[in-house]
Amino acid sequence: MTKKSMWSLKFSTAALVLIPAAIGINYLGKLFAELLRLPLWLDSIGTVLSSMLAGPIIGALTGIINNIIYGFTASPVSFVYAITSGVIGLVVGIMAYRGWIASIGRALVLGLVVGVIAATVSTPLNILFWGGQTGNIWGDALFATMIAHDLPLWFASFADSLAVDVPDKVATVIIGFLIFRNLPKNLTHMYDRRSEIDRL
Amino acid sequence: MKSIRVEQLKYKYPGSDHFVLDDISFAVEKGEFIGIAGENGAGKTTLCYALSGLVPHFFKGGYGGNVFIGDMEVYTHAMSELTARVGLVFENPFSQMTGAKFTVYDEIAFGLENLGVPRGEMHRRIQECMKQLKIEELGDVNPFSLSGGQLQRVAIASVMAMKPDILILDEPTSQLDPQGAEEVFQVVEQLSAQGVTIIMAEQKIEKLAAYSDRIFLMNQGKLIHKGTPAEIFSRDDLDVYGIAPPVYTSAARSLKFRQDPTANLPVVLEEMPTSGLEKFSLPTRHVEVVDVKTAEIVVSDLCFGYEKDAEIIKGIDLELSGKPLAIIGQNGAGKTTFVKLLKALLKPHKGKITVVGVKTTDTTAAKLAAAIGLIFQNPNDQIFKSKVIDEVMFGPLNIGQSPETAEANALKMLDRVGLASKKYENPYDLSLAERKLIAVASILAMDTKVIIFDEPTIGQDAKGKVKLAAIINELYAQGKLVVCILHDMDFVAETFERTVILGDGRVLFHGETRAAFGQEELLRDAGLEQPHITQLAHRMGYPGILLRKSELH
Amino acid sequence: MKNGTFYVEKASIVHNVDPLSKLLFVFVSVAITYMLSNQPVVSGVLAFTLLLLLLGKVLHNVLPIIGLSLVLIFSIIVVQGFFHPDRSTVWFTIGSVPIYKEGFSYALLLTLRVLNMVCAFGVLILTTKPDDLVQSLIRKGMSPKIGYVLLSVLQILPQMIAATGKITDAQRARGMETEGGLSTRVKSFIPLLTPVVLNSINDTRDRSIALEIRGFNSTSERTFLHETNHFKYGFVIKILLAASLAAVIAWRIFI
Repeated sequence: MTKKSMWSLKFSTAALVLIPAAIGINYLGKLFAELLRLPLWLDSIGTVLSSMLAGPIIGALTGIINNIIYGFTASPVSFVYAITSGVIGLVVGIMAYRGWIASIGRALVLGLVVGVIAATVSTPLNILFWGGQTGNIWGDALFATMIAHDLPLWFASFADSLAVDVPDKVATVIIGFLIFRNLPKNLTHMYDRRSEIDRL
Repeated sequence: MKSIRVEQLKYKYPGSDHFVLDDISFAVEKGEFIGIAGENGAGKTTLCYALSGLVPHFFKGGYGGNVFIGDMEVYTHAMSELTARVGLVFENPFSQMTGAKFTVYDEIAFGLENLGVPRGEMHRRIQECMKQLKIEELGDVNPFSLSGGQLQRVAIASVMAMKPDILILDEPTSQLDPQGAEEVFQVVEQLSAQGVTIIMAEQKIEKLAAYSDRIFLMNQGKLIHKGTPAEIFSRDDLDVYGIAPPVYTSAARSLKFRQDPTANLPVVLEEMPTSGLEKFSLPTRHVEVVDVKTAEIVVSDLCFGYEKDAEIIKGIDLELSGKPLAIIGQNGAGKTTFVKLLKALLKPHKGKITVVGVKTTDTTAAKLAAAIGLIFQNPNDQIFKSKVIDEVMFGPLNIGQSPETAEANALKMLDRVGLASKKYENPYDLSLAERKLIAVASILAMDTKVIIFDEPTIGQDAKGKVKLAAIINELYAQGKLVVCILHDMDFVAETFERTVILGDGRVLFHGETRAAFGQEELLRDAGLEQPHITQLAHRMGYPGILLRKSELH
Repeated sequence: MKNGTFYVEKASIVHNVDPLSKLLFVFVSVAITYMLSNQPVVSGVLAFTLLLLLLGKVLHNVLPIIGLSLVLIFSIIVVQGFFHPDRSTVWFTIGSVPIYKEGFSYALLLTLRVLNMVCAFGVLILTTKPDDLVQSLIRKGMSPKIGYVLLSVLQILPQMIAATGKITDAQRARGMETEGGLSTRVKSFIPLLTPVVLNSINDTRDRSIALEIRGFNSTSERTFLHETNHFKYGFVIKILLAASLAAVIAWRIFI
């Protein structure tokens, strides 16, 4: 395994076709979470899976394109978070490659890292675009309490994002991991960039 | 020059030590029609991939020997060079659409744009292909709103527009209803007549026999025999390879047409005589048929529609119990909607359904799961576990079986469908036909009193169908009520003594299968055909209704 | 919502503007409102955006899109209005709760910016066919493969959503409950989602094959079935937009 293969920009057809499928999975994760009235979004399971399967670049592309498409079909506000989604794909892809999906314990750590990084990336966007909120009632209540107590804006906003992102991303990564681990070999082979034709 | 030349081709998928293609050699002349016959898993699909270059270029893996398309060696040429010479159409009509084009016209253009065909030429070719495939009127339609048969013709048009010399069809009708399949076969026949070299893998043996110049019989990755349809299908050892000969061939055999045991038998309807059964009488049955008392479903005055003012079920009264029952009818007749109502997945607008004494409006589908099992058409809609055994145990555990009982039931049913040896495999590492059997086992293991099958025979080969028929009869012997939606009239005739014909949301007929297939006018109105064997007997002068091969003597 | 997007088929002057100009407009319009903290100017930009929507005959179509951002706007007004760090000038009091002018003024500014952002995107997505936008981007040098990905999502998504009904039925038929306590609902998430995941990943193999056999990786110079639509005013609009942006940047730097 060389570093070059993780960052390869020569996408296989299978990896490209994975992107729309992963975006669909993102959407359905969200749909089922709403249907079952779960207290989480679970709207980036596909991004996480595509990173685990096809690496950080495809993962990042999935995240970015996901938000662009979501902006076109559901809510323009999601354009702003294309960066966050892209970073999630990137981080999962790199860490998965470095062995952070070898066990459920490691996947839990990966989930925490992703949650914190997602919050870190989202905070400046939240501050720039809407003065610090996330649009999530519980997170924003926390935000309001904190600035009412004169804590710094960036701190309150970061806490808001953390409260919103960490539980969701931990659950997302764990679910992604559970599904990934159980995928059949004949499907995961398609995305294996190392396979070559073995001339007999 | 030969159109295709294959020399000692060997292939295994990555991560596997098993040769799915094992030392295959053959040559095909330009304009020939080659039929590939063999049971599921024989290597037919992989051979199709190898001829179109996907093996090895897309799948990678271990590759030996040589494949030449004309003078072009597949191994040393890229996919995009090969696609201009060989077109491939495969089973699933939906996943063959690129998904990036919003009209049929643009969909057909996709390949031409990639190859850089000039615009004027592109329009000319698309229009020509749409005409050839009889889809001219569909140009502005979104592909995803089409029927399976239409989509499959769009898929053929899309590859034909690229002007290949060779068209490869891998079971192009296995996921289509009879009408859609017929639409596809008609255009394939026409393309062949126009001189296109065609390689077609197909389970519908009567069609292979009718169209092919030569049949390749495959088994376990090997090309066992090559020969004319008459030579291949007259063989006595076909069941060893898991295929059944055309119904005409079996009939000719039963009627002892063959004096010389080395002579070939007829393989198509046209070769059969138009007389000889005028005085035929059905054999009296030797087996004493014991009537088993089964669970009961009572349906009275049932009405239902997904939207207001658009009823799909328009007043059905039926009492179901006793012998296994086939439900037949055209697409849109309301068959699947009807069984979903039985299963309480939908609630009636009017009327009521009582399943083993429980009204469906008083319960939920999940609660009713212990009483009535429904096996859906597409197993992929339910499979989510990574081991076959866990998948089969999911239902039994949900309805409260203890883990020990659930496992015992699951193992028993996996054994029954012939998948016991694969219990620890990942369902998605198995074929679609096998996944379908997993879905069957997963419902049977719930040990319900009523079992409903929705199109169980789609995608199954001859062996699979025999297995399903045996399962249906066993369930009945155990006192279970079996209801089965089917498009496959031959299977209905062979397996079921009772049939319901549904048409436009109403019961058009309910009674003996033999009587059902005697209702010629009613069948025509319902868009149905008689079984092959019935038509054959009719052609040969038999005035009654013949249903089974075993009835010929 | 044809094909699951917001595009509204109408004949209007805005529909006839080339997609890339509209894309640039979104960028410039959002950038200006965030560079300037001047309420009248931001209101002016918003008014201009609304005018474009009116000219595009899609003004009422933007309402549901704004509706989706209402929670965010509401949160901005409440949180910034009541809790803004800068609380000195009491505007008025409700009971004993003081309302500060700074907070509300800031909340108003943010709300105007968010509304403008949503409406500016509205101009683009309500009056531009997604395929036209992608085609334009491909002609400008974007990889046709990325173009493929963008468009195929729009086709594949409705297919996947349609599959969810069948999956729910299939699992309920096997005795799985989707109603009940939190733990019951949590437990049913995996059996519902996993079949779609497996299905769609399994389909990617077929779809990749479909693309491969249609020359997706061909190295030949590609051609286009449809000629470039004759969009109007593209060049002028782009110049004007670039000039406005430059002017605003200059204003920020020098004034």
